[in-house]
Amino acid sequence: MGFVKKQKDRRIEQNERSYQRNCDGFKLQLNDPDPAVRRWAARDIIQCPDASTALLERLEKEETVEVRQAIFTSLINIGDSVAVAGLVECLRSEDAALRNEAIEAMKQLPEEVSPVIRELLNDDDPDVRIFAVNILEALKHPDVEKWLMEVLETDSHVNVCATALDLLAEVGTEKSLTSLNYLKARFSSEPYIQFAVNVAIERITNE
Amino acid sequence: MKRILVIDDAATVRMYHKSILQSEGYEVEESINGIEAIEKALQNPFDIYIVDINMPKLDGYGFLKELRELDIPQAPAIMVSTESDEMDKKKAFVCGANYYLIKPVKPEQLTAVVKLLIGEVRQ
Repeated sequence: MGFVKKQKDRRIEQNERSYQRNCDGFKLQLNDPDPAVRRWAARDIIQCPDASTALLERLEKEETVEVRQAIFTSLINIGDSVAVAGLVECLRSEDAALRNEAIEAMKQLPEEVSPVIRELLNDDDPDVRIFAVNILEALKHPDVEKWLMEVLETDSHVNVCATALDLLAEVGTEKSLTSLNYLKARFSSEPYIQFAVNVAIERITNE
Repeated sequence: MKRILVIDDAATVRMYHKSILQSEGYEVEESINGIEAIEKALQNPFDIYIVDINMPKLDGYGFLKELRELDIPQAPAIMVSTESDEMDKKKAFVCGANYYLIKPVKPEQLTAVVKLLIGEVRQ
């Protein structure tokens, strides 16, 4: 075991010597065959200009969980507009794990994500609108209830409304009762909506 | 009494599925993500699993893959999701799902599939 660890440490040291300890070197290390080298590069590149672009490019093809985690942590720490735009694109991925990682990352960037959330709630793709509602859960923004009420009143997709309803059951106040009843009437033949609206109304009125 | 585990990060969805299945006489437990569900399955395996795809920490695909590798009595799993793409369905079956339902699920639909998979009706 000790021998294996020593070998691995030596390999990383050799890799570090073969790359320059600067931004160009970190960018190259992000594509190194060794996941440990890529993970360190994802962490070290954070101070470099265009770090978000390089991290997002790597994220597209990265399959090692630990490296992906390091990339997401760095993107959260950078939190610039490029990082946020890249995270938004991840919501459109076919990879469920990547989408969930992006949602969790966006939840940690409330100030940076709030300006784009309205756009996401009106996206053409209902899945993206569902993920936007998932992100709202953690935003702690004063308009969250208002945005959820708008979804209940205007969104035509039952699962987008169902997701908003689930969150409104937790954060809603008496202000949302009209929207809840409106939704119940809009989807009168949908048992889940009937059930969930009743749960939400009961929670709100009993509080 | 047959035991069912409902795995979904949305509290209202868990309550909804639980109320439908309890009214049919099943014993129902809940988990909020795949990791918690694996722990529960290891402690006392279930007769059927109803699992969402998009969940934090360990999603439905990851849960099924891990479940199928566990050295415990295996049971059918129904994947329940908002995703209606053929690719999502295919991936669910590759990961070990036995059935795929699209949300929102109708009560009669859920109980029919559960009874079918649990062997209470003939195919």
